[in-house]
Amino acid sequence: MEKVSLSFYKKDCMGCHACEIACKQEHGLGVGPRLVRVMEKAPFYEPVYCHHCTKAPCLEACPVEAITRTGNGIVLIDGETCIGCRECLEACPFGAMQFDAEAETAVKCDLCTDRLAANQAPACSSVCPTRCIIWGDTARKVPDRIATER
Amino acid sequence: MGEALKIRTACRQCHGGCGVIAHVRDGKVIKVEGDPDSPLSHGTLCSKGLSVTQLAYHPDRILHPMKKTGKGWERISWDEALDTIKEKFEAVIAEYGPESIVIGQGTGRDYESHLYRFANQLGTPNVLTAGHMCYVSRVASTLITVGNLPICDYDGGPKCIVMWACNPQWTNPDEYKGEGFWRAYKKGAKLIVIDPRKGFLANKADLWLQLRPGTDGALAMGFHQVIIEEELYDRDFVENHINGWEAFKERVKEYPIEKVEEITWVDKNLIRKAARMYAKTKPACIHWGVPTEQTNNCTDCTRAMTGLMAATGNLDTRGGNVLFVNPPTRTVAEFSRHKDLSREQRAKRLGGDRYKLGARVAFITPKVAWEAILTEKPYPLKAGLLCGTNPVSTRANAREAYDALDKIDFLAVIDLFMTPTAELADIFLPAGTWLEQNHVADNWKRHGFVVARQKCVEIGEAWQDHKIFQELGKKMGQEWWETVEDGLDYLLEPSGLTWEEFKEKGYLQGEMVYHKYSERGFSTPTGKVELYSTVLEKWGFDPLPKYTEIPESPVSTPELLDRYPYILNAGLRTPTFFHSANRMMPWLREIRPDPIVEIHPETARNCGIEDGDWVCIESPRGKARERAKLNDGIHPKVVVAEHGWWYPEMRDPGHGWDISNINLLTDNSHESMDPAMGATNLRACLCNIYSVRDSNGMMK
Repeated sequence: MEKVSLSFYKKDCMGCHACEIACKQEHGLGVGPRLVRVMEKAPFYEPVYCHHCTKAPCLEACPVEAITRTGNGIVLIDGETCIGCRECLEACPFGAMQFDAEAETAVKCDLCTDRLAANQAPACSSVCPTRCIIWGDTARKVPDRIATER
Repeated sequence: MGEALKIRTACRQCHGGCGVIAHVRDGKVIKVEGDPDSPLSHGTLCSKGLSVTQLAYHPDRILHPMKKTGKGWERISWDEALDTIKEKFEAVIAEYGPESIVIGQGTGRDYESHLYRFANQLGTPNVLTAGHMCYVSRVASTLITVGNLPICDYDGGPKCIVMWACNPQWTNPDEYKGEGFWRAYKKGAKLIVIDPRKGFLANKADLWLQLRPGTDGALAMGFHQVIIEEELYDRDFVENHINGWEAFKERVKEYPIEKVEEITWVDKNLIRKAARMYAKTKPACIHWGVPTEQTNNCTDCTRAMTGLMAATGNLDTRGGNVLFVNPPTRTVAEFSRHKDLSREQRAKRLGGDRYKLGARVAFITPKVAWEAILTEKPYPLKAGLLCGTNPVSTRANAREAYDALDKIDFLAVIDLFMTPTAELADIFLPAGTWLEQNHVADNWKRHGFVVARQKCVEIGEAWQDHKIFQELGKKMGQEWWETVEDGLDYLLEPSGLTWEEFKEKGYLQGEMVYHKYSERGFSTPTGKVELYSTVLEKWGFDPLPKYTEIPESPVSTPELLDRYPYILNAGLRTPTFFHSANRMMPWLREIRPDPIVEIHPETARNCGIEDGDWVCIESPRGKARERAKLNDGIHPKVVVAEHGWWYPEMRDPGHGWDISNINLLTDNSHESMDPAMGATNLRACLCNIYSVRDSNGMMK
């Protein structure tokens, strides 16, 4: 099974925030949790997002095994199982784990599994004006991009 | 729950045009996506467009007509609203004439054809738009110079791109959509960025020219200086296709490179390098942004930049700046019946005898409208209808705009929300968002495309703007159509398509023809590129471009520097907002909760300001509060502030319009404006900045 992950080619992130809104829309999220987020310090922009780590600290920190990694490498959280302890928020080195105050559970990027199943790009990637959000086999794609792009 | 219906349409969250697929379920738009088949946006979409469901279904949206009574706003029917406007307008016409009614719009959101059709049939020459300093001014200046607006031909593969005062993907891209630019850049085009602020593109650029705000016109003359001195111009083109090249060369001699360095603060060697890169790399295009127009140099700056395209042989050339041919549809001018406005009424256009170039493209500068309301000179403006505009936030000298709109006898507005401007009105007419309209979108642009914007839903009693003008016009005895779609059939007639057929097609593209001038010349009086303008000469203006110092600057008003030591670069655009819009949308406001003023860390130290402080920015005319953000990519003598801020969450009728309003600081005196256009200096004046950390933040 081909591994699937998410990566930003940071040099091309211009801080337009389109990915953030596409993500919120796709996941029906209001103000608060930001599964992808771009920090601004012009002229540099720092995207904060789930890397779907191979050895995921969030998963390891979860006391109730609400976080799992699928066969193709997508790290998912089960809202039903989550007890809202926020251990995973602290464990994530990227700040990608978020807390949904309404549901009182942790939430995270699911790489738009429904869209992937329908052969569509994750919402964030689909709208990016500079095409800097790379998904799929990022272990191969990111080095390719670095090698070929200006 | 029914299956979601997917409707192809076109965004209009800025000027619009990006392709969208709207998902509609049970009569409600549940989400929008970029349309990968769009020839303009190729599936990309920005934060504004993606948030449209929060706009369309916002709890504060007004979804029925309202009238203001002694007890506040009251709901009324469309009939009552339109009848009231008709009666008021007819009374004004009977007593003062139709010229005493002002019809206005903001930045223009694809309804100018209908707005002007209404105004022209009403008989008023007084149409108040942003055109005096935004895009239409660029069109006006290029019309008299080359006969059309030259636009980057990104699909033609430019090898060098001059990004002059624009961040096309970050904010509103006007004609181009950022997509085309990005693809051309990624293919390896050289990039020259001209911007007082180091943004994303300046950081990427091969050359970044950090100029003093507002001196773009001088920099353009500096480019010419290098190009002429080093004979980098296209000899055949300048000899055969430019009117007044010798006279222009003489004018350029007044701008030796050292002088240009002194004016613009850009190192002369860097100017040389950039001019050489632009002139020697073929093809090259200049992508211009609106700050080049928002000064007293509006006309001259646009003309000097157009001159660069011409002199280097990049005009109407593949990959250069092209005079696009639009698809065969009725133009805004024809649809709106400009010719029906009588010579007599045209002669009454406020400021028309002064700002002749502006008058030629049928707008008035706001200053003359405010004066006519406040002083009743040269005659009074007694009533108005404003569509999608918030001048108390977005026009220079906002205080005067507020006072005038507060005073006018009768005001009707068309909008989505009760904005600070709408609160000054007597009648509120609820407009539809772009999800609620059928239109041949982009018809007013000059990039060679029209796209189908299709109605996805109807919400409340809101009508699309076009229908509002049509139904009010019909009530007043004007010539319109039974339905909006009948009007679109008329607009599309030259293409041989009906609206129904067009919307299936999705878009039309004009024929791509380069070097049109070689056969038919340019559409100017001499048939040439009029660097020496016979039109301006006839009107008594300087026929050659020049740079005139910004009226309030360290150079022209050094006596103010004690109190106002910094240059205010007002109007920093952001990706999430479009002028004064979107502040009520939760997703967008979460990203940018507060108005931001960027200052250099050194300036912050000198002023005792820390990152995140609420600060007061003050000019000789007024002050505004914004939050400081440190940025070492701007000049220590320059502060860069966002515009368009008001606070929808403040429930009083002012909605905080005067708290963080940068246009309380800008000037609109006649002396400060472009003499031919009436453009205001929205981007540059002097200011001071100080922390208000100890005075309870912004005191919201």
